[in-house]
Amino acid sequence: MTKDFTTGSTYSRRDALRLMAAGGVACFAAPNLFGKPASAQNLPTTPTGRVVVGLSQEPTVFNPLMAHTEVDDALHFSVFDALFRMDPKGVLQPNLAAEVPTQKNGGISQDGLQWRVRLRDDVRWHDGEPFTAEDVKFTLELITNPKFRAWRTAGHSLVRDITVVSPTEITWRMEEAFAPYLSFLAETFIVPKHILEKEADPNAAAFSQAPVGTGAFKWAQRIAGDHIELVANADYFGEGPYVERLVLKYIPDMTVLYTQFVSGDIDLVDQAYITADHYQEASKLSGRVVTLEPGASVESIYLNLEKPQFKDPAVRQALYAAIDRKTIIDAIYYGIHKPTETFMPQNSYYYNPDLPAQEYSIDKARQILDEAGWVPGPDGIRAKDGVRLSFSNATTAGNNLREQVQQFLQQSFAEIGVEMTISNLPGAVMWGDFWLKSQFDSAISGVTNVIAADPDVTNRLHTSAIVAKGGKGSNTGQYSNPEVDALLEKGARTFDPEARRAIYLRVQEIVRQDLPFLPLFAYTNVFGRKEGLEGFESNANTRVASWHAAGWHWKS
Amino acid sequence: MRGFLLNRLSQSLVLLLIVSVIGFVVLNLIPGGPLAQFGLDPSMTQDDLDRLKEQLGLNRPLWMQYLDWAWRLVQGDWGHSFRDGAPVLDVIGRHIFATLLLMGSSTIIAIAVGTWIGIRGATHRYSVFDYLGTVGAMVALSIPTFWFGLIGIYVFSLQLGWLPAGNMYTIGDGSALNYMHHLILPSIVLALVHVAIWSRYMRSATLDVISQEFVKTARAKGLSERRILMKHVVGNALLPMITLAGVQLPSVLTGALVTETVFTWPGMGRLFLDSLGYSDYPVVMGLLMFSAILVILGNLIADIAVAVIDPRIRLS
Amino acid sequence: MTAIAANSNLDRWWNSRTARRFMSHHLALLGMVMIALLTLACVLGPYLLPYDSLYIDLRARFAPPLTGSHYLGTDPLGRDVAARLFMAGRISLLVGFSAMLLSTLIGTLVGVIAGYRGGWLGMALMRTVDGFLSFPSIFLVLALAAALKPSPIMITVVIAVSSWMEVARIVEAEVRSLREREFVQAGRMLGLSGTHIMFREILPNAIGPIIVAATLTVARAILMEAYISFLGYGIQPPLPSWGNMLNGAQQYLGTAPWLAIIPGAAITIAVTSFNFIGDGLRDAFDVRGD
Repeated sequence: MTKDFTTGSTYSRRDALRLMAAGGVACFAAPNLFGKPASAQNLPTTPTGRVVVGLSQEPTVFNPLMAHTEVDDALHFSVFDALFRMDPKGVLQPNLAAEVPTQKNGGISQDGLQWRVRLRDDVRWHDGEPFTAEDVKFTLELITNPKFRAWRTAGHSLVRDITVVSPTEITWRMEEAFAPYLSFLAETFIVPKHILEKEADPNAAAFSQAPVGTGAFKWAQRIAGDHIELVANADYFGEGPYVERLVLKYIPDMTVLYTQFVSGDIDLVDQAYITADHYQEASKLSGRVVTLEPGASVESIYLNLEKPQFKDPAVRQALYAAIDRKTIIDAIYYGIHKPTETFMPQNSYYYNPDLPAQEYSIDKARQILDEAGWVPGPDGIRAKDGVRLSFSNATTAGNNLREQVQQFLQQSFAEIGVEMTISNLPGAVMWGDFWLKSQFDSAISGVTNVIAADPDVTNRLHTSAIVAKGGKGSNTGQYSNPEVDALLEKGARTFDPEARRAIYLRVQEIVRQDLPFLPLFAYTNVFGRKEGLEGFESNANTRVASWHAAGWHWKS
Repeated sequence: MRGFLLNRLSQSLVLLLIVSVIGFVVLNLIPGGPLAQFGLDPSMTQDDLDRLKEQLGLNRPLWMQYLDWAWRLVQGDWGHSFRDGAPVLDVIGRHIFATLLLMGSSTIIAIAVGTWIGIRGATHRYSVFDYLGTVGAMVALSIPTFWFGLIGIYVFSLQLGWLPAGNMYTIGDGSALNYMHHLILPSIVLALVHVAIWSRYMRSATLDVISQEFVKTARAKGLSERRILMKHVVGNALLPMITLAGVQLPSVLTGALVTETVFTWPGMGRLFLDSLGYSDYPVVMGLLMFSAILVILGNLIADIAVAVIDPRIRLS
Repeated sequence: MTAIAANSNLDRWWNSRTARRFMSHHLALLGMVMIALLTLACVLGPYLLPYDSLYIDLRARFAPPLTGSHYLGTDPLGRDVAARLFMAGRISLLVGFSAMLLSTLIGTLVGVIAGYRGGWLGMALMRTVDGFLSFPSIFLVLALAAALKPSPIMITVVIAVSSWMEVARIVEAEVRSLREREFVQAGRMLGLSGTHIMFREILPNAIGPIIVAATLTVARAILMEAYISFLGYGIQPPLPSWGNMLNGAQQYLGTAPWLAIIPGAAITIAVTSFNFIGDGLRDAFDVRGD
């Protein structure tokens, strides 16, 4: 019965083994980190040409360790390197590290507490200084420096006793076993000690305006509000770069972004990609390659489970049954997104394809509510024990397609005697305390639940992550299930992928049953690039399309 | 003159104080705040958000934040952007060229076209031209700028393909011609309202002058219509128009903001919207203060200019 | 209270030169007729059309104008644009009017107090007016709109808060020049209270410029609402307003241009009409403006 929704989950036992062994094997494959491009023989010998990448938000945070949003990653991935990188298959590959530490190869002790990372010895910073283990130590310490406006500190705050054994070897101890940390390190870019240690205030360092990294591209210049220009790093230790100039162009309007892609001003569309309504037209353009790539986000209706309307599971089930997902996806989103039953991305190794599929049926929804004792009042709105089935729904004001979905749902819910009002808020208001401290009734949001492909969702679903109840995390729907809590705690301590998989499959099963949120669809992104731009690969495990610009090249 | 200047300057400072208080209060009324951008990030914990809040100084009482900000401003420190950590003046400086370019070119269009329509309307009073000019000005004043921009994009970019739909220039082509090509549509859109205002003003100013004795005398002396116009009418009418230019500054800025959003123009207007979206308080406050200073200066310069050109006007 | 106080004076004006001058101002009359028609259409229109402005029919989305009985086409959710246009008109006109009333009230109060009392209080009030005028109104409006929960009432308040200054200035100037006139002095001699003099004696004499400014404020308020809603900070769906009908129209400019053209035209017509009326009133009251 779930056949329709199993696409994308093609993992086998062999993949699981590969996942486990990856680190140990992949170091032999270096320096060709991410597999040879199909046309390896045509690669230019010197970097040539220019690629203009279009972004709908402006990258402004250039120190990769400072608090930033996904659009800044477009720059970080090109200018900096991390210890590892997550490849498109969700397998960690060594980057600045010589190998990915695992329990098998001894890089991580059996109890998960002792870590040892071996580093490459052939890496230089853009200013010519050699990269060493000191830089790694400096980076990890800077993140937990209380004066530094760091991005996430989860995982990093568990690190103790960092020791530089040699320029190419570093060890540390973890306060407690934390399996997701390996993936977190894939998004922790290493910054140069020799530049930043001289700064009195790391927040206001000149480095933040003209970053120096080890990556395939070097910082050239920035025209604020317009674009950032990077140039090829000819001494890059890894594959590439093959293009001489990389331009990150900021175009705040999605329609204009698309228009410029059509006109050829932009070679590749990155964050937030081509809008669904332009897909049909775009796929017919000549000289352009337009593809559908599964993303990691899942669009859902989040219910605030502490509101009396949503405490009854029957209400959640009835609402779910009343959603005509097919029409929403086909009509409003032009059929590009995929229905889903879970928070896990469908291309993840941990995705559970065997969950019961939602069936759209107004009659069934009515029946569920009737049986649960929700009776329509004189105004046609159902009520039970003095609680009216009426609630508000919020999302970012000005998000057109979502506003269309809201209005469509409003009509659907009215059919089963449920009143949904719409009260949208500007983004800066919506996702502040209103969202984080669970002040909403219900909200629509596209959320990425996994971090760098790691399946740990403690932050989203564990009872201890409910901020409104004094917790620390973003369980904004206030979901609480002791069995899920126990499973998540076990999952975070487990390093073996196969054992972890069983845990997270079970979590998804319980969550599907409890319906703390109503999944609408899994995002599919419409990628567009010029014909002749080769070496491009999408990677749902990163947040940007430009995660590997080093491999791009123009067909000669 | 000196007393006048001092008086005006001290008044301006009081104004700036009021503007800053209004701006600061309004801005801090907005719930959410600068950390909302991380609200959807799965990896930021409440600890991280609390830490950032403290690091940015946002957990202090509002009055303390204001006094701190104001005290720094007095010392010439406009603060740093929450987003990219750059000094606020640098951030504004990076966007000012685009806005000035747009405002400049549209003001030139507005003055040139407006003056022509106004004078011609006045000298050919009650003609079809005058009538159309008057009605046209009223309509132009009533068209929503952003909608006019949209229609312009629809006709000239999407249908005819003559002009670019946005941006200041094509990447890799920084030639003046390329800039001008991109400038045409937005500056016409921004100029529309001001053409209307200028032409209405110019028309009534010209009518005033025409009816005056010395013009009649000049005409009686047999001077050609054209020379009279150039010498007296334009010369005399230009004076109050300088004042008008100063007074118009806020509305030109508003118009620029609107136009920039429609044409994805990398100027201060878009910076304002982006900064507001991210609740980047230092930059938003900086822009508010910056534009207020600009407006107050505009008024001041207009007053002084008029006073210098025409000593008959009493300085008070 | 101003309206009641001004009643007798209004009658006097209406039978006078002012009325005659206004009636001979063709554009102003045209404006009046257009506003009347527009209001009528917005009030009655929704009852005459076969579609509800909120009824969603995804099969009929993006129908161009004159498709079946969708005279003005449909929007991305298949809702009838004509029905939405009229319902939106109700909101937009109502917001425009209410914002005008509120801002005129604020402006008049501030102006009268500042002008009559003068001194320290008057100075403080007028500097506040200058302060509000010193930043581009859109900055203020957007910041305020972002701060408040968007609803028609809030939008009205936001627009009013950003547009009362002109009325305040006009009234203050009028009151200041009137307070030394004989009839006011006489009132003072008779021992009438300050409030009585301010609102009963002085204000009615300043009513002309106030009406002109108020009319122009309606025009500006409609424009302002449109812009805030266009940016998504204004009236929230499903409630239509002319401004939020344009929100998203840019996205469909290439495929469904009517979504942008129709509401924009409605705004332009309404605003032009109010400006025509304001112009006519200005001539009629013989108010010197720029």
